[in-house]
Amino acid sequence: MYVSTCVHNVVTLCFQFLVRASMEVNESQQQHPNNVYHDIGITRNKIVTAQFECYQKIMKDNTNGRQDSMCNRTWDGWLCWDDTQAGVTSEQQCPDYFQDFDPSEMVTKICTESGQWFVHPESNRTWSNYTRCTEHTNEGIVTAMNHFYLTLIGHGLSLISLLISLAIFFHFKSLSCQRITLHKNLFFSFVLNSVITIIWLTAVANNRELVQRNPVSCKVSQFIHLYLFGCNYFWMLCEGIYLHTLIVVAVFAEKQHLMWYYLLGWGFPLIPASIHAIARSYYYNDNCWISSKTSLLYIIHGPICAALLVNLFFLLNIVRVLITKLKVTHQAESSLYMKAVRATLILVPLLGIEFVLLPYKPEGRVSSEIYDYIMHILMHYQGLLVATIFCFFNGEVQAVLRRHWNQHHIQFGSSIGNHSDALRSASYTASSIIEVQGCYTIDGHTEHLNGKGFHDTDVSVLKSDSTFA
Amino acid sequence: MKTIFHSFLYCCLLASVAHCVELEVNPELKKRLSMWLGSRLRRDLESVALVKTAESENFVRPEDIRDTLLPHSSTDINIRTKRSKGCALGTCAVHDLADRIQQLNRNRLKSDAPIHKMSPQGYGRRRRSVPERQVSLRLEKGRLRPVWRLNNSQVHKLEALLRRT
Repeated sequence: MYVSTCVHNVVTLCFQFLVRASMEVNESQQQHPNNVYHDIGITRNKIVTAQFECYQKIMKDNTNGRQDSMCNRTWDGWLCWDDTQAGVTSEQQCPDYFQDFDPSEMVTKICTESGQWFVHPESNRTWSNYTRCTEHTNEGIVTAMNHFYLTLIGHGLSLISLLISLAIFFHFKSLSCQRITLHKNLFFSFVLNSVITIIWLTAVANNRELVQRNPVSCKVSQFIHLYLFGCNYFWMLCEGIYLHTLIVVAVFAEKQHLMWYYLLGWGFPLIPASIHAIARSYYYNDNCWISSKTSLLYIIHGPICAALLVNLFFLLNIVRVLITKLKVTHQAESSLYMKAVRATLILVPLLGIEFVLLPYKPEGRVSSEIYDYIMHILMHYQGLLVATIFCFFNGEVQAVLRRHWNQHHIQFGSSIGNHSDALRSASYTASSIIEVQGCYTIDGHTEHLNGKGFHDTDVSVLKSDSTFA
Repeated sequence: MKTIFHSFLYCCLLASVAHCVELEVNPELKKRLSMWLGSRLRRDLESVALVKTAESENFVRPEDIRDTLLPHSSTDINIRTKRSKGCALGTCAVHDLADRIQQLNRNRLKSDAPIHKMSPQGYGRRRRSVPERQVSLRLEKGRLRPVWRLNNSQVHKLEALLRRT
């Protein structure tokens, strides 16, 4: 009974504080011509709540450990400041009370050598420095919008090119082989990732009402987003494993079991996505799970990072083997290294190596902004790059398309001009047959490796070399 | 082939489990983790703030009081102010962007910071007078109702306490 009365007293006390504080805010507003809080209650409520919590903290924490030369804990009107050693500058992140406050910036309050809070010489008042909170806000907004449009354009272009590539891969059956099957899956995961990212950014992140309503569907879409995001990177890992197995592990490769690749590419990312969803719902259940201010995201990005690291290892190993094999053929040094560099550059976007080379965001404002631009371009235009290199610039695909185009012309064209075209196509076919002689057989599919100086060429060189080695 | 797969799967599992374990728990919080989890297992950080803003007439809800009265609630405040900076990996850029866009949208409701409060005349002062009559809130049927009353000894106690701070 006594305890409950006590508790009641404390509650009453706290509320008296709170209400008095809020009344004072009102008073000070009335005195001031520019009423900054009255239009919307959010800011005021946040400040009042912070004040309430601050006074509770001030009252509750014991004062035993205090030394004499310390600035007293205090509520400065916006933020709560702990006891601070004399001569120390206390720092806190800016509060999110206002539109133009950047929460990643710092507020400072100086505790002078005499153990008093800094008094501003102009006004003779105790003063905390909030000026940095608004310094770079407008630039920040511009940057965010730039990133937003950059991302949307990148995913749009990627979507178009990937869909065309997929159509080519599916339409021309002569292209199908294990490598292309893997490419199809990778491209498909790119497509799904682009679609869900565009949906997520435009329909959820850009929709305040939805985030505020916080329906289950937006959490589900975040789950799908993270799952497909993972799928994308795990298919890059699959490509890496496949190439590595093909070139380094099993030179006379028999049929590889694609089932494992499907499991790894589409199945495995479910695990981190589910763990993240469960952990998020217990420990950090924010609206639509949209906040990026939680370490729980490492559940998704840890495995992705591991996958990319494995890919880096594969890439290095592939390049090592490539150089050894090319040396056997006694090629000129320069062309050898050119080939190795070219193969590496081509494999980097396929295997997602660029994210391992720039793993961490730097701290400074300018450097982190540059880093953000680079990352967004690399990440959102990767689909476009991969589709371009592995479909449009692929020698096989170009040959097939040209053949198809010429057939089309021969069938339907009747003008004289087509005669030379047909001749050219005949000569081309002859040359391509010569090129095709160098191909090898895996899994019963003939792999036409005329890849016009792309990694396919190098693979074919490797292959033909290794048969003699 | 298979061994590569298996070892890789284990690596990934380990990585995710390790990250799970270290999630946002500072060393000084670890001993209080179990107590803390019990009280705020299902507490929704963001929605609390949103509900608070939605119901402007009672900005502090009963469960907030209960929570802050618990002996470990000081950690609770720490959590809110010392929130982790989140994922710093390059691949997290897309989440950062979504978060940023969402924050910009939410901020459209707010006003700009008052310049005069950041000027030399602005924040940093405290010490306020106590009004003669004041409102206290009382819990009735789950709602908080304001009650006017004269200053009593409690207020003086509180004043003394504040003067100490």
